[in-house]
Amino acid sequence: MVSRLEIRLKKELNDAEGAGIRRKSREYFGFEVNDIRVIRMLTIDADLNRDQLEQIRTEIFTNPVIEESSYSPVAGKFDWLIWVGFRPGVRDTAGSTAAEAVEDLLGIKFGHGQAVYTSKLFEINGTLDEDQVNKIAGELLANNIIQQWKIYSADNWQADTGVGFLVPKVVLDHEPKVSTISIRSDEELKNISFERNLALQERDIPVIREYFMKKDVLKDRKKVGLDLPTDVELEYISQARSDHCNHNTFRGLFRYVDILTGYMEPVDNLFKSCIEAPTLKIAEQKDWVVSVLWDNAGVGRFDNDHYYVITGETHNSPSNMEAYGGAITGIVGIYRDPMGTGKGSKLILGMYGYCVGHRDYSGDLKPHLHPRRLLDGVIEGVRDGGNKSGIPTPFGLLLFDESYLGKCLVFVTALGIMPSMIGNESSHVKATSPGDLIIMSGGKVGKDGIHGVTAASETFSEHTPAGHVQIGDPYTQKKMHDFLIEARDKGLISYITDNGGGGLSSSIGESARFSNGCIVDLDKVPLKYEGLDQWEIWVSESQERMTIAVKPGHLESFMELSEKHAVESTVIGEYRDSGYLHLRYKGKTCAYIRMDLLESDFPQWEFDAEWIPPETRGLTEPVIDEPSNQGSLLAEILARPNICSRNWIARQYDHEVQGGSVIKPLVGKKRDIPADAAVVRPLLDSKKGIAVSQALNPFYSEIDTYHMAAATMDEAVRKVLSVGGDPDHLGGVDNFCWPTVEYHPAKNPDGRYKAAQLVRANWALRDICLSYGIPLLSGKDSMYIDGNLEGRFGERRKVSGLPAFLFTVSSMVTDISKCLTMEAKFPGDLVYVVGETRNELGGSEYYQTMGSVGLNIPVLNAGEVWPQYLALHEAIQEGLISSCHAVSRGGLAVHLAMVSMGGELGMDIDLQNIPASSGLTATQMLYSESCGRFVLTIAPEKKERFEEIFRNMKTGQAGIVTESTEFSVKDKNGRPLIREDIIRLKNCWKSPFGELI
Amino acid sequence: MMMHQVKALILTGYGLNCDYETDYSFRSAGAQSSLIHINELIMKQGAGSEVRLEDFHILVLGGGFSWADDHGAGVVMASKLKHNLGAQIDSFIGEGKLVIGICNGFQALVNLGLLPGFGYKYNERRVALTHNDSGNFIDAWVNLKVNPGSPCVFTRGISSIELPVRHGEGKFYAQEEDIDTLIKNNQVVMQYADNQGKEARGKWPLNPNGSLCDIAGICDPTGRIFGLMPHPEAFNHYTNHPDWTFEKERIFRQGKHITNEEGDGIKIFRNAVEYIRDTFYS
Repeated sequence: MVSRLEIRLKKELNDAEGAGIRRKSREYFGFEVNDIRVIRMLTIDADLNRDQLEQIRTEIFTNPVIEESSYSPVAGKFDWLIWVGFRPGVRDTAGSTAAEAVEDLLGIKFGHGQAVYTSKLFEINGTLDEDQVNKIAGELLANNIIQQWKIYSADNWQADTGVGFLVPKVVLDHEPKVSTISIRSDEELKNISFERNLALQERDIPVIREYFMKKDVLKDRKKVGLDLPTDVELEYISQARSDHCNHNTFRGLFRYVDILTGYMEPVDNLFKSCIEAPTLKIAEQKDWVVSVLWDNAGVGRFDNDHYYVITGETHNSPSNMEAYGGAITGIVGIYRDPMGTGKGSKLILGMYGYCVGHRDYSGDLKPHLHPRRLLDGVIEGVRDGGNKSGIPTPFGLLLFDESYLGKCLVFVTALGIMPSMIGNESSHVKATSPGDLIIMSGGKVGKDGIHGVTAASETFSEHTPAGHVQIGDPYTQKKMHDFLIEARDKGLISYITDNGGGGLSSSIGESARFSNGCIVDLDKVPLKYEGLDQWEIWVSESQERMTIAVKPGHLESFMELSEKHAVESTVIGEYRDSGYLHLRYKGKTCAYIRMDLLESDFPQWEFDAEWIPPETRGLTEPVIDEPSNQGSLLAEILARPNICSRNWIARQYDHEVQGGSVIKPLVGKKRDIPADAAVVRPLLDSKKGIAVSQALNPFYSEIDTYHMAAATMDEAVRKVLSVGGDPDHLGGVDNFCWPTVEYHPAKNPDGRYKAAQLVRANWALRDICLSYGIPLLSGKDSMYIDGNLEGRFGERRKVSGLPAFLFTVSSMVTDISKCLTMEAKFPGDLVYVVGETRNELGGSEYYQTMGSVGLNIPVLNAGEVWPQYLALHEAIQEGLISSCHAVSRGGLAVHLAMVSMGGELGMDIDLQNIPASSGLTATQMLYSESCGRFVLTIAPEKKERFEEIFRNMKTGQAGIVTESTEFSVKDKNGRPLIREDIIRLKNCWKSPFGELI
Repeated sequence: MMMHQVKALILTGYGLNCDYETDYSFRSAGAQSSLIHINELIMKQGAGSEVRLEDFHILVLGGGFSWADDHGAGVVMASKLKHNLGAQIDSFIGEGKLVIGICNGFQALVNLGLLPGFGYKYNERRVALTHNDSGNFIDAWVNLKVNPGSPCVFTRGISSIELPVRHGEGKFYAQEEDIDTLIKNNQVVMQYADNQGKEARGKWPLNPNGSLCDIAGICDPTGRIFGLMPHPEAFNHYTNHPDWTFEKERIFRQGKHITNEEGDGIKIFRNAVEYIRDTFYS
């Protein structure tokens, strides 16, 4: 029997959710409606009697103080009703927790196929026509990829039956079946691969065929009853060989040529030459580096007894399709990486970075989701994913650019901490051994996420299969997290890794390399619903699952603990030393692949990389003479979307949970200016802290990606140094998001140039890592940030995102009481600028304001700035500095103003005393984005000692902090350039998104 | 010494968080605290390994998202506790022990009916914590005015305090007559205020959620059951405070140093520990 419980807020109560929808429908579409109220619905597909139904209604699902409910329709007076529910098979966490609560209260257990489903009914009062209501439903309330909806007008509503009984149960009338695949010719396999969406790499096909035709392989296969390759086997190979899992692009051969000079250099394997080699070299010099380059995340030493763990990745394609689901899956997914690093770490911090089209985009192109809706969804996804995981999210970035209309970028970064020893073994060590049991813990497996990895490796179009979109479930994962930490501490875990891209296929495939083989019974894998084919079980990316190796002797304790934490764990196989990956279904072999197949010689990807220097591309400096109204210019630049306040995002992220917040995302007198970096104290009884920050500067990619990457790394480093990070401990995480680099005369005519851009960014990564001593603790690349968007005339235009390189830096703070925030603190303090300002406006916010790109990109001189960074650290440790801020996008004008706004104190600045190369105009001084610079304020009595530390360095006393709120800048001749009230400037800076909550 | 151990039980599991810092805060305040999974209290364990509520003095329902908070914050947790531990909780209260609910724990306490506990009846849902008027989750530090006339044992000697709120469902709501009763009984313990200690009068962001009468925390008529939306455990060290870098510099310039590194939130836990010592061990 199916019952439908409808719950609503009492009439006299403000419906905050409804009010939010009203606000959005006004803001998004200009529709004014009088009122929107929300009715929550639970569709209970289980045999409950009348008393039971009444008991759960009153005791659980209805709060008598604020709500009323009924098993009959409760909609009152309305003009329109919109019902929104999930499509079958989409994760409905609220439905599962409802079922859990019902089972507990009634002391029953739901039978097979019984469940609770949640949905919502929106009661609208207002004069809208049907098209408008459809727009609200389809573009605001529901996303047709995961949800379905229905619209009722007051006239066609049946008050007695309501929406009826809509049960989105998955019914797959399908008998699981293993198919074999013919490999008579390369051509045939290629066609089958295309038809079945296998996404086998064309150049891999001969290698795969050769393997399956080898005599000894055939002989071995015969023993287990196999002949031709099965779909399970080819899916396994396809997943393992995908660019997402195998990083074929980064491991490829790039034939680099500078078309101006003719300089040629074949670059064999960017990963090895620009990431691995420098990292290994630095790891030898820095004894705090514990584990790099092989595990799910990198490991550094926190103190004698603890390690910290860090990694970052992107979740672009799914977020582009379903913003909320993609983003929550992204943040919850990245949290599994530290959980699956070493023997497992406890999560302590998350960060985010979003690149999207402009919020008010009104151009010709039709992205799948409007950037405003997309951004709202992404923000909310990360909010729920982080907050509900109990992990602070104290840092993040947001960048608007039209080039991300094709595909948005969603970066997620996670840090964890673990004891340095588990028993007698270092916690970063893990291995599987023959005889260890393979256990899957966490969620069940469904069709969701199938072919996610391969879809991420393709360009987005409206026809991308939507099956890879999921909704992460932080609740299930938090339970699993708590369980696994306890299991780790009891010494029950030999090996742990997460099920992310590629599902069991990747997690077991990779973990079985340690023991050299495994046997898995796919029929033992718990499923959400029956009818999945064997290959689907094997590659499904259903979330919130970990794969764990447990010694048979520990099984009982492990399972007891799992039950205590209400986490599902199942033994699904065993690690072996057979040399084979062996999969069975109900006793019958469905895959039997040699472990060393994936190490065999698959052909390397090859790219032509043609560098066209910026001058050759026609870039020049623009011709703009000095603005006469510098005050208005500054006020306008402060209000630009990539400079202005985006506080509404940080405020909805819990950045204090776990109790160790030291430097918060918003600082200053009114707690409203973004901090340079976040600092947390992960162990509450220790004075040690971790400082983390990130930088992202894709606009410089328009000139030269080498300098883009160098400037970005330098900015991230300066930000952690500003709050008190240690220059001797700088860990890096590189996240590349690049448009397709494979040349195609029609589809990607500038592919060769984009390939050269990638090479150059990697060269900078290598060079700056070596100069600053930064080991790359982790990193990921996400290629294919392109989209083909429909234009006004039915045409499709390719939009490629600007090459983006997010750099994350982690650092140690020995004593958190030395940490600094960026705001000016006391009138009379001296304002210093450290680092030289040069004629480097290329790619700057100022040039962008003027509609230009320019040529003179900021060029990092690592050798010159490094001693200044060491001096800064010394000065901070001596307690000489009262505020410190890294100068970044917008230059000195913007960042002096930020320091002033932060303290709500004025400043008198004299450009004459700011270290600069000769002959700069005032505008170049104010807006150049040269690397290596800081703005500091210090107490006057600290001047002498401060200047002693910075002797012979490019440092100057730029001015003074004043009691008044006037922000004043004088040019080199002492004439006033800017005289603005700092509160007015702050209001300009806050105004663009000031209304958002 | 062992005789005088004040034992706090901090519930964990099912999506609760804040357990780590709440445990640390209780320890800093002198308690012996234990992190106990809800199922350890509920599930039948092997002989000897049983965890019993009666062996503790302070029951702590901390922050988090129990059962993902999908059906009203704290609702499913309240149902689970009531159904499985109702009698034990009743006798725990009957013995004069302490219960504190912070954020999600507060939400659970009002759904359990332990608060407001009018007429010492601990099974009625009379008040609610519902969606913030803003419609969104908010993390912000607030100024709180503490009612000196309240019987609440947790806030003794505190007249005002700054703490962070971090919630999406913190709007305190009740019928007018119930609000009047709360006020009359001095059960309103904490109210959102400005930095001068004046009530926020509903003004955002001083009152971050639209709570009626700016109510941030209430107690039962005995003052031994306390629920609050702000997080005292997140102010366990002076570096948690948003203005600490300024304060530190200010103190330095007076030629002084920070002598007490403890955060103000610890006072609330220390009051609880001292109350138990005085009541059970004197």
